[in-house]
Amino acid sequence: MLCATVVAVALWLVAPFVWLFVTSISYQKNLLARPFPLVPPEVTFDNYRMILGLVRFHAEGQAAKILASMWNSLVIGLVVTAVNLVVGTTAGYAYARFSFPGKTLSLFALLFTRMLPTIVLIPAFFLVFRALGLQNTLTGLVIAYCSFTLPFTVWIMKAYFETIPADLDKSALVDGCNRFQAYCRVVLPVSGPGLVAGGAFTFMLCWNEFVVAQILNTRPGTTTLPPVIAGMNGQINIDYSVIAASGFLGALPAVVLVLMFQKYMVQGLTAGSVKG
Amino acid sequence: MAWLFAGPALLGIALVVAFPLVYSLWLSFTDVNLLRTTGPALELGGLRIPLFRWIGWRNYVQVLADPLYWDSLWRTLYFVAAFVAEAAVVGLAMALVLNERFAGRPLMRSLLLVPWSLSRIVVGLLWIGILDFEFGALNGLLLRAGLIDGAIAFFKEGWTALNVLVSVYMWNQAPFATLLFLAGMQSISEDLYAAAEVDGAGYWRRLWYVTLPALRPIVFLVLVLATVNGFLMLDLIYVLTMGGPGYDTTTVSWHGFKTSFTFFKFGPGTAILYTLTALCLLLTIVYHKLVLGRFEPEA
Repeated sequence: MLCATVVAVALWLVAPFVWLFVTSISYQKNLLARPFPLVPPEVTFDNYRMILGLVRFHAEGQAAKILASMWNSLVIGLVVTAVNLVVGTTAGYAYARFSFPGKTLSLFALLFTRMLPTIVLIPAFFLVFRALGLQNTLTGLVIAYCSFTLPFTVWIMKAYFETIPADLDKSALVDGCNRFQAYCRVVLPVSGPGLVAGGAFTFMLCWNEFVVAQILNTRPGTTTLPPVIAGMNGQINIDYSVIAASGFLGALPAVVLVLMFQKYMVQGLTAGSVKG
Repeated sequence: MAWLFAGPALLGIALVVAFPLVYSLWLSFTDVNLLRTTGPALELGGLRIPLFRWIGWRNYVQVLADPLYWDSLWRTLYFVAAFVAEAAVVGLAMALVLNERFAGRPLMRSLLLVPWSLSRIVVGLLWIGILDFEFGALNGLLLRAGLIDGAIAFFKEGWTALNVLVSVYMWNQAPFATLLFLAGMQSISEDLYAAAEVDGAGYWRRLWYVTLPALRPIVFLVLVLATVNGFLMLDLIYVLTMGGPGYDTTTVSWHGFKTSFTFFKFGPGTAILYTLTALCLLLTIVYHKLVLGRFEPEA
């Protein structure tokens, strides 16, 4: 009984993703075949060759955008993650250790920014970036992405630092460190799991983000992977199997990252959700 | 000292969240015209941020007088209610299964994160592969098994499309609820279950009288987070239905998105989106009052 339920849950969770992979190594004609073949009759890597630009086909212009946009996604993800880890972590430490005027209020404001619809900020970004010349730039997206990642990072890191005994910092202070030294040399080195949780989560959010990039970076070559995949999906002349290949390739980095660091991410996210 | 640590992040958040938030609010009260380059503006050292002309509540009046807004609002309320119910029930059910002892439990907990870590664009894409009228695997399997005579068009009829959207979003989001429920379950003392068992309580009675009461703060948390996520969902609509057929899957957020960025009417668009923002503020207060600090997970 339990065994059957476990198998059912496992299928529910991964079968759709596995099927995405199967379609990405199939020919469209076999996907359309009825009666539906239970085992894929042919296996091909043509779809991947097409999106990697190794073979010529009618939509190669579209497909060529995949790798370029993946590179943009990677750059944006890494920069935003770095900014978050430096700035957000430090603020998380302040919230975990100090009491200061306005702390309760600013924590509530942080919570609100976590719940905020990012989309409501986009008209403002659109006009300000137009004035600044930041439309269609990676810098613009980095700035916009900080709006929904930074509050999360502060919150996750606050919850993490609260699990580290404050005596650790105190003994460093007694030993003659100032606050900043105590933070950098004593607290950060034992905060690996928290940093991994915050960093991996931030990167995942950026890598998967669609709406902001779709609106702000419309010029070809400036956008990230999700809008490119969504754009290919809207075209009738591209086979689903090719789109599936780009979807699978695009999903892989985030899935691998999350699976690699799942233990820390789960701890960080649950603690960040239930603690005030 | 505290401000030295918290300052950079708070300054950053003020610049990239608070300022755009206020500016968007301002825009919702003006006659935004993206082509006009003259008119009142905020001048900041060479930078010129247009302010447009203040027209009071006119955008809100216009938006709220549009039956499309109310239609999308009722649809959104159904969408959110159905999504919250599905995500909470499926999330809890998966947590109950994963909380049992069985070989391969760590592997299962990893698999749990797969749907959640995918971009919603990919989530939509892979469900197209399953549900599509022509090449979808589900239609293929059902036809092969002889359970249906003709392929089912999941996105052709509005009501079906809306419910498919709910379930696909649930597939993506329920795992996070499961994570929270699991964290809650691990902090329930084994003694309580032992005592309940001595008193002769079966599985379902233990679930009802021990597990669920202990999980109450987590249940609140899941409900609040799912409600917010339900109201804000956009990207799945983009890949799966584009708000159609007709307007049958147009939610308030999609209505605001289209008004703002397809028709580039920022005035009414931000007004629509601000009605959602007000709602999120309300839910933040609920979250703050009912959830935070009510729960101490064991380390």
